[in-house]
Amino acid sequence: MKHPNKLTALFFIIFVAAGTVPSPAGWAQQNTPPAGDYIRGVKAWGDNCSRCHNMRDPKEFRDDQWKSIVTHMRVRAGLTGQDARDILVFLQTSN
Amino acid sequence: MSRVKNKNRLSPLVAATLLAMPLGTNAAEDYGSLKAEIEDLRNAVKESSEWKNTDSVVHLAGYGAFGYADQETEDGRFDQVLFAPIFHYQYRELMMLESELEIATGTDGETEVNLEYLTLDLFLNDYMTLVGGKFLSPLGQFRQNLHPSWINKLPSTPAGYGHDGAAPLADVGIQLRGGIPLGKMRTNYALYIANGPELAAEGGEIHAIESEGFTRDEDGDKVAGGRLGFLPVPKLEIGLSAATGNVAVTESTPPLPASGDPVRDYDVLGADLAFKAGNLDFRGEYIRQEVAAAAASVAAEAAEWTAWYAQAAYQFTPNKLELVARYSDFDSPHADEDQEQWAVGVNYLFASNVIAKIAYEWNDGLEGEATDQNQALFQLAYGF
Ligand code: HEC
Repeated sequence: MKHPNKLTALFFIIFVAAGTVPSPAGWAQQNTPPAGDYIRGVKAWGDNCSRCHNMRDPKEFRDDQWKSIVTHMRVRAGLTGQDARDILVFLQTSN
Repeated sequence: MSRVKNKNRLSPLVAATLLAMPLGTNAAEDYGSLKAEIEDLRNAVKESSEWKNTDSVVHLAGYGAFGYADQETEDGRFDQVLFAPIFHYQYRELMMLESELEIATGTDGETEVNLEYLTLDLFLNDYMTLVGGKFLSPLGQFRQNLHPSWINKLPSTPAGYGHDGAAPLADVGIQLRGGIPLGKMRTNYALYIANGPELAAEGGEIHAIESEGFTRDEDGDKVAGGRLGFLPVPKLEIGLSAATGNVAVTESTPPLPASGDPVRDYDVLGADLAFKAGNLDFRGEYIRQEVAAAAASVAAEAAEWTAWYAQAAYQFTPNKLELVARYSDFDSPHADEDQEQWAVGVNYLFASNVIAKIAYEWNDGLEGEATDQNQALFQLAYGF
């Protein structure tokens, strides 16, 4: 390998810095991320979930399935963790 | 006599016992079955909340499609059979593994299997996820967000957004992705470092830029870049994409010398827009990939691939009947690949994820080439 270029170096710095931002590793141990909110979830669902594709019916999936779908969409659509938890509460209440 | 008497004295006792016996068994039975019912109910409640509460979740998603194409100068054929399962494994709000396979039947009957993507997504905090593995290119929208058949509103990809087009398809590396609210405006970002694409040369010219995602990096330097998305209002998204790095020719006819081919600059620039107003869905996208000249290369000249499209879809009967029109234009270093296209289509939505599409494409390419053939298309797509 040749010497790493400056851009690669810059990105590695960003990545390392990102790792130092307060992380949910603590939540994972306690399993207690901040709870989702139904009312906020209704709005976030309406604002986001038909941006890229037809709106999928909340009744289409079980609670556990919505869990992984919403996580999938969080990564795909660049939602915040709180948006995702709010939307999940809405979907799990409406199915 | 006395026996009779005795009998008489005993009989009320016997009768009472006989009477009481079935009563007693009944009550015990009722109590027993009630207890069993409560136990069943308790288990059912526990089971149903178990779905919600497990730390690990497994889910199978994906889509499938089949299609028919009828080109101007060729006989119509059933030209597409596609199965694309997506696997999700999630551990708490910490890790998700997502992977999509694309399994398709080729023209010769062979089954083609491709790893579309496999990423491990580590949730660092509410605003940032580290994504590593093979991923769909985060540059632009079409590849990462619109290509699945049940999402794409036409049976075909816009000109320049398929294989060997202008839009990068996938890459192998790491990404940081997430969303940040800026006051009322939502933003999202995807930044990445990856091995980058490779070039194929033919007869002293760059023939194609290959961006399927490689686990080798022949040029030795990474490609870095990303996309920023801005949503001033929820129904409008504006995206800007850029990437830079180095690439090299790795395949060539005639073959490369043993020392390989020199490294050259690689740059990508893109912009995308998506807008919704009532039943109207409008989107457009522009992308350009370019590689610099390299005097010592088997293909010395610079090359550039540009594509853009604009698409409007209108649901006449919401969630039932949809009309789509799309214009797309692809420019490459080779006239036989260039294409300008108009496509119109009618979609019938059996459900939001079960869609029948009929479309017609007017294609303008180099005369005599496949890119110049108009075609009628049909597709049935199901996302699950
Ligand atoms: C940025 C675009 C985008 C947004 C916004 C979006 N989706 Fe998706 N969604 C996709 C794509 C792309 C797929 C297909 C995934 C694939 O094929 O890799 C998908 C797939 C799905 C699926 C099928 C199952 C699966 O996980 O693949 C469901 C259900 C779904 N989305 C629901 C939602 C919900 C609910 C929301 C709101 C939180 C949402 N989507 C927001 C792009 C998006």
